[in-house]
Amino acid sequence: MIRRRDHKVPGGKLLRVEVEIESGLVRRALVRGDFFAHPEEAFEAAEAGFVGIPVELVEETALSLFSKPPLRLFGATPADIAQALGEAADETQAP
Amino acid sequence: MKLRLLDSGARGALPGALNMAIDEALLGSVSRGESPPVLRLYRWSPPCVTVGYFQSLEAEVDLDACRASGVDAVRRLTGGGAVFHDGEITYSTVLPLGHALAPDDILESYRLVCAGIIGGLGLLGVDAVFEPINDIAVGGKKVSGNAQTRRQGCLLQHGTILLDLSPERMFSLLKVPAEKLKGRLVEEVKARVTSLRALLGRAVPYAEAAEALAKGCSSAWGAELEPLPLSSAEEAEARRLAAERFSSRKWNFRR
Repeated sequence: MIRRRDHKVPGGKLLRVEVEIESGLVRRALVRGDFFAHPEEAFEAAEAGFVGIPVELVEETALSLFSKPPLRLFGATPADIAQALGEAADETQAP
Repeated sequence: MKLRLLDSGARGALPGALNMAIDEALLGSVSRGESPPVLRLYRWSPPCVTVGYFQSLEAEVDLDACRASGVDAVRRLTGGGAVFHDGEITYSTVLPLGHALAPDDILESYRLVCAGIIGGLGLLGVDAVFEPINDIAVGGKKVSGNAQTRRQGCLLQHGTILLDLSPERMFSLLKVPAEKLKGRLVEEVKARVTSLRALLGRAVPYAEAAEALAKGCSSAWGAELEPLPLSSAEEAEARRLAAERFSSRKWNFRR
């Protein structure tokens, strides 16, 4: 099941996240948007870090993965991304 | 310092894939020490929509509308949002990291590089200011957007300076959440964005803008300009990157 969520960040950027879930575990997390992340590959490595984690840990995992040096974010904070991913993941538990 | 000036746009406008590929080829040259720091000026033909590195081309761009009106669509190496490249002059600069204009502090490097663009706008009679993170504005309205990446030990920053503004055309090429929102979005852009034509009350030709930007950067950056065209090796590399990366589905639809 793939869940998507658009999340407007204070300041104007738009996060468009996608979480694919199977049997309560994340298969894939994708964070798209008009933000900046340096180095770009570190951001993609953080996205890859969600594979296999339980859905209920998505938000705290995001906070940790997107705060990890050398990653630097502009236009969105780790908390913004965590909120967007957490909300997307949460919807998967809705009836 | 010596600053290599490459006025790609003097010989004409180029397709988006090739423009992005030349920027990447220059990044490679500076990274390998084969080129001094570069300031490149260019323009686009056909018009092109670019999206930021982290955006989905498919989600942001109405590809059918682009095809129908002969507009290209390319994903950039740099982050940020979707940009419609038409009626603008574009610059790129490549600097080795640690250079006086490329400190570790990313916001500070935006400010330092943008000071050159602001200087150029000043020469055209426009009093612009830097607006963090990455905009240049006049009287609160954005006239230039800028985007940076750091790779291979170098900073690559490119940005656009709007010569003219056509938000209706732009939104006819972008996907908007709902068709009924289009009118409001056009009005919002008109309220928040401006162009040299609107500011100066006349059309500014590419060549005039290019000369002003080159002088502005030279002066603000304390750099001596050295005109130096693309080498044949750089040109070959750019053509390869244009074909293999920036025209490929694999790159453009990667996210």
